[in-house]
Amino acid sequence: RAPRRAEPRGNPGSFDELHRLCKEVFPPQMEGVKLIVTKTLSSHFQVTHTVHMSTLGPSGYRFNATYVGDRQLGPTEVFPTLLGDMDSAGSLNAQALHLLGERLRAKAVFQTHQAKFVTWQFDGEYRGDDCTATLTLGNPDLLGGSVIVVAHFLQSVTARLVLGGELVYHRRPGEEGAILTLAGKYSAPNWVTTLNVGYGGAHASYYHRANEQVQVGVELEANTRLQETTFAFGYQLNLPRANVVFRGLLDSNWSVGGVLEKKLPPLPVTLALGAFLNHWRNRFHCGFSVTVG
Amino acid sequence: AAMAAAGAAAGGAAGAVAAPPRGIRAWLRSAFRFATDRNDFRRNLLVNLGLFAAGVWVARNLTDIDLMAPQPVP
Repeated sequence: RAPRRAEPRGNPGSFDELHRLCKEVFPPQMEGVKLIVTKTLSSHFQVTHTVHMSTLGPSGYRFNATYVGDRQLGPTEVFPTLLGDMDSAGSLNAQALHLLGERLRAKAVFQTHQAKFVTWQFDGEYRGDDCTATLTLGNPDLLGGSVIVVAHFLQSVTARLVLGGELVYHRRPGEEGAILTLAGKYSAPNWVTTLNVGYGGAHASYYHRANEQVQVGVELEANTRLQETTFAFGYQLNLPRANVVFRGLLDSNWSVGGVLEKKLPPLPVTLALGAFLNHWRNRFHCGFSVTVG
Repeated sequence: AAMAAAGAAAGGAAGAVAAPPRGIRAWLRSAFRFATDRNDFRRNLLVNLGLFAAGVWVARNLTDIDLMAPQPVP
């Protein structure tokens, strides 16, 4: 009897992307009118102008510039990547991603609210053949004696099962604490289920790809600190022949919503229409956006 | 005295028969209060767990739909 050939265990990806497939099924919140114009100036450089006329908050303009280097490891992974995003109030969001070695990546994130620094964060990630380890320093302040340290580890136990955990340690003068969260992900050809369980609560998600047109996501979150639980059901309908993608949502807060995206070939234009209704609070908001480029 | 004893025995038996229904009634009342208390964390967790299970069942069994299939001819 021939020995059963073990399937190769690939790299499990990063901890932040455990629930990504399920989250991408849900429609993004849309309100007001948004115009997004993207201009690719070269194979390395791209700028984006965003004008948002909001019904719920202040309206504004954002400018985004992105530079990508030559080293491409995947469809969305290009190194180095430099990204800068500034709004009309002067608030900045800047990120730099770089490949330090074959398996070592580094990331730096800075966020300001007008002239004041709100976030400064440094990540180091090691991607092995079947494991990923990440260390993050959040807002390190040597003079003030405060820091947030986050450590992630994921191990591909089999070709389908990934197990891992997250340790968050925070320190301020007079106070320090740590929270441990365990994570597991099981991937089948047509579905993926992920579970995070820790002292602060639990997060479970289930993603199902019914066929090329229909994808479904189910999510459950429980927060023991806020004593809240939520359930959400989302679905995505793809109709490439009609250039249409529709995403719908239903959740335990009595909210229903949907976003319809339609490409308008031969123009490089995408039109998106969205509406969300909260039956319990009797609130409704809708919006549309036009993306050029 | 015999009738008093018989009455006491009947009262005791009636009490023994009435105690379980009162116990069940109290249990049902507290279960109804638990099921309808929107501020209870454990109740909300159980309800949302049930909804999650129902959502997974719907995703696995009711979503294999061909959106581009032609309409059935009557």
